[in-house]
Amino acid sequence: MENTEIIKVQHLAKNFGSFQAVKDVSFTVNKGDVFGFLGPNGAGKSTTIRCMLSLIKPDNGQIQLFGKDLNKHRNEILSKVGSIIEKPDFYRYLSAEKNLAIFARISGKDVSKREIAEMLDFVGLNGRNRDKVGGFSHGMKQRLGIAQTLLHQPDLIVLDEPTTGLDPQGIVEIRNLILRLKSEQNKTVILSSHQLSEIELISNRMVIINKGQSIIEGDVKELLNAQEMVVQLEVNDMEKTINVLNIRFESASFKQINERIIEVNIEKQLVPSLNQTLVQEGVEVHAMEPKRKLEDFFMKIIQS
Amino acid sequence: MLLKNTYNEFIKILAKPRSYLGIGALTLLVLLILFAMKADGKSFISFVTASFEQTLSFNGNILNGNLIAFIILQMLIVHIPLLVSLVTGDLISGEAAMGTIRMMATKPISRTQIVLSKFIAGAVYTFILTLWLGFLALIVGKWMFGTGDLIVLNSDGLVILKEQDILWRYGLSFGVAYLALLTISTLSICLSAFAENSIGPIVSTMSIIILFTIIGTLDVSVFDSIKPFLFTTHMASWRSFFEDPVPWTTIRNSVSILVIHNIVLVLIAVYKFNKKDITS
Amino acid sequence: MKAILSLLFFVHSFAVFSQEVDADVVIQQVVQKLNTVKDYSVEANIKTNIPLIKIMPVNASIYFKQKDKFKVVSKGIAILPKQGFTDVNTFLMNKGSYMAVSSGTKTIGEVKTNLITVIPTGETSEIILAKLWIDTKRDVILRSQVTTRSSGTVIVDYTYGAEVQFGLPNQLTFTIDVKKFKMPKSVAADLNKTDQQKKKTADKDQKGTIVIKLTNYKVNKGISDAVFKEK
Repeated sequence: MENTEIIKVQHLAKNFGSFQAVKDVSFTVNKGDVFGFLGPNGAGKSTTIRCMLSLIKPDNGQIQLFGKDLNKHRNEILSKVGSIIEKPDFYRYLSAEKNLAIFARISGKDVSKREIAEMLDFVGLNGRNRDKVGGFSHGMKQRLGIAQTLLHQPDLIVLDEPTTGLDPQGIVEIRNLILRLKSEQNKTVILSSHQLSEIELISNRMVIINKGQSIIEGDVKELLNAQEMVVQLEVNDMEKTINVLNIRFESASFKQINERIIEVNIEKQLVPSLNQTLVQEGVEVHAMEPKRKLEDFFMKIIQS
Repeated sequence: MLLKNTYNEFIKILAKPRSYLGIGALTLLVLLILFAMKADGKSFISFVTASFEQTLSFNGNILNGNLIAFIILQMLIVHIPLLVSLVTGDLISGEAAMGTIRMMATKPISRTQIVLSKFIAGAVYTFILTLWLGFLALIVGKWMFGTGDLIVLNSDGLVILKEQDILWRYGLSFGVAYLALLTISTLSICLSAFAENSIGPIVSTMSIIILFTIIGTLDVSVFDSIKPFLFTTHMASWRSFFEDPVPWTTIRNSVSILVIHNIVLVLIAVYKFNKKDITS
Repeated sequence: MKAILSLLFFVHSFAVFSQEVDADVVIQQVVQKLNTVKDYSVEANIKTNIPLIKIMPVNASIYFKQKDKFKVVSKGIAILPKQGFTDVNTFLMNKGSYMAVSSGTKTIGEVKTNLITVIPTGETSEIILAKLWIDTKRDVILRSQVTTRSSGTVIVDYTYGAEVQFGLPNQLTFTIDVKKFKMPKSVAADLNKTDQQKKKTADKDQKGTIVIKLTNYKVNKGISDAVFKEK
């Protein structure tokens, strides 16, 4: 379904001197995706995103956005992209309104003063239009960054750590905003975040990169379902439980948290069988719940 | 998009306090000189005419607005380049330090257009500074000291120019002086493309000016071949308009050298900025 | 022998005595003429041709009033010799301050003149020595060579027209020694000019001239003292 591909990155590579930041990264983002971009620090996420936005020139590979080569159609492509890379930076000596006007002016679309005011209102900065950005808190700058990203109504939104520095309410607002952008406006969003729970909650597709290479890419649910899951058990007899696991579920790994709680990393299809076997062996299972699915999945992928 | 971003650059320059620092410092310097001349300008003239005064007497309004403007314009050589580079040296590297260059470079505007818009804005700022200098020197000077013939002391002697023969000379000399300052502006913006902080390009620009000026004044034959090509050699070429006869060939040569410098520096900056990986 | 010597001495003394009387008389004839001028104003056109100075001809108005009030008024900058205008005349009017000696005759142009050497008697006099070539028929100075303490030697050639009756010239040509002229380096420094570009004129011409053409004299019409006040 090539005509729905918004981003196609193929065999991207970038060196900084002798340091190989990106070795071989490939992934595809479809129209309407909320795409999770995951990787540990130094994996090459930032470099990859910067290459996509033409901040960095790759040494190798191909980047296509909206079906067009980034090198040949840069301006046309970027007029449809809104982004926040790391933290949003603004002109401290200018007001919020003037900052937005400056960036809007070079975004490829005419944006009126009224639209700027509405956007500031939308991100919760109403009444601060004329205040200098130098006096803004980090959270306010983050909001202003989102305003700057959305002002020219881009089709593709690239967000690098958008919830950094936001309070819990702010985090929820960002999450809801992204979901609304997808559901109401069919925007495509790339979300790079360390908040794995956020990725798990809102992304439908993702790629994990490590040491400059893309490791795994696909539908979030499918990837997580196809793999093992972590369940946390609260039991009355820890010794018996460990015995059962060692003898009957050799493929599973486990970690005892305390004398009543144990975390078991087990294939999903074996979970009912685990519960049944424990009960048959006389172990009382007081609670069984899935625990930090994506986080564990992520750590497992990275470590392998 | 070039025009839109140039407009953006004007907004940014107008909003920065340091832009007014340059204009304020220039105003203060000029007013200081006007005050000093008003208080004791005759001593200054005596110094200039001292060698002749044993045998000759100079009659007429020597200390007039035209002479004051000339003295003020002489300041160009040392002080104004710093005031120019204070603003223009910050245009690219200041944004790199602030992080806004990252925001700009993800917009649908080419890197070349970003750099060119900064050059244009820098050129306009330099023009305003030069215009302001001209206004203070000529208009305010004439208002305070009246008008009259201009007595100019060159290395080959005194030239006294008739009052009615002076305005066009000032017009052209300010034009060439602007070109010299534009070269400073262009140099500092070019250096700014290589740096990630504001101070570096400003200090580097001044260091280059000082170094080239020293090379230009050293009476050492090994430098003779490069002296004619240093832009600092031609920064005072505005003075040539106050010689009699006006050395048009020399002036044309100076203008050509300065124009070439500007073109080359712009090309270097555009090339560098296009190749640069923005990692800040 | 003794008688011949005495006769020779007597004749010589008489000759010397006659010459001394002539020089003073000649000077006084000139001074008398100049004294008829209580005041005058005149339009001057000043053409300067001095090494190290470039200046176009300048028009000025000159005012004089007895005994030593002098003023030059010009719209532009005018360069005049510091001495040689009225200071010689003023000096000559002070009879007791100098000794005049006749030094022969000389023809200037087609006019026969008496060369009178004027030696100041005072030790503090600005003028050290003056030589005057005087046309005794018209009682006017045709040439002067004046050496002063501060200005060196200036030679002035006088040409007369209608105002010869007052001893006022219609043209003055000043020849000035310019060996002492030097450029103050720190001010004149064109920092970026190479040595090859700097012209070396100082060694070449050692004399400069200023030619002043004087027209439209207004003699003894009365001039207010206010004209001579410094603004």
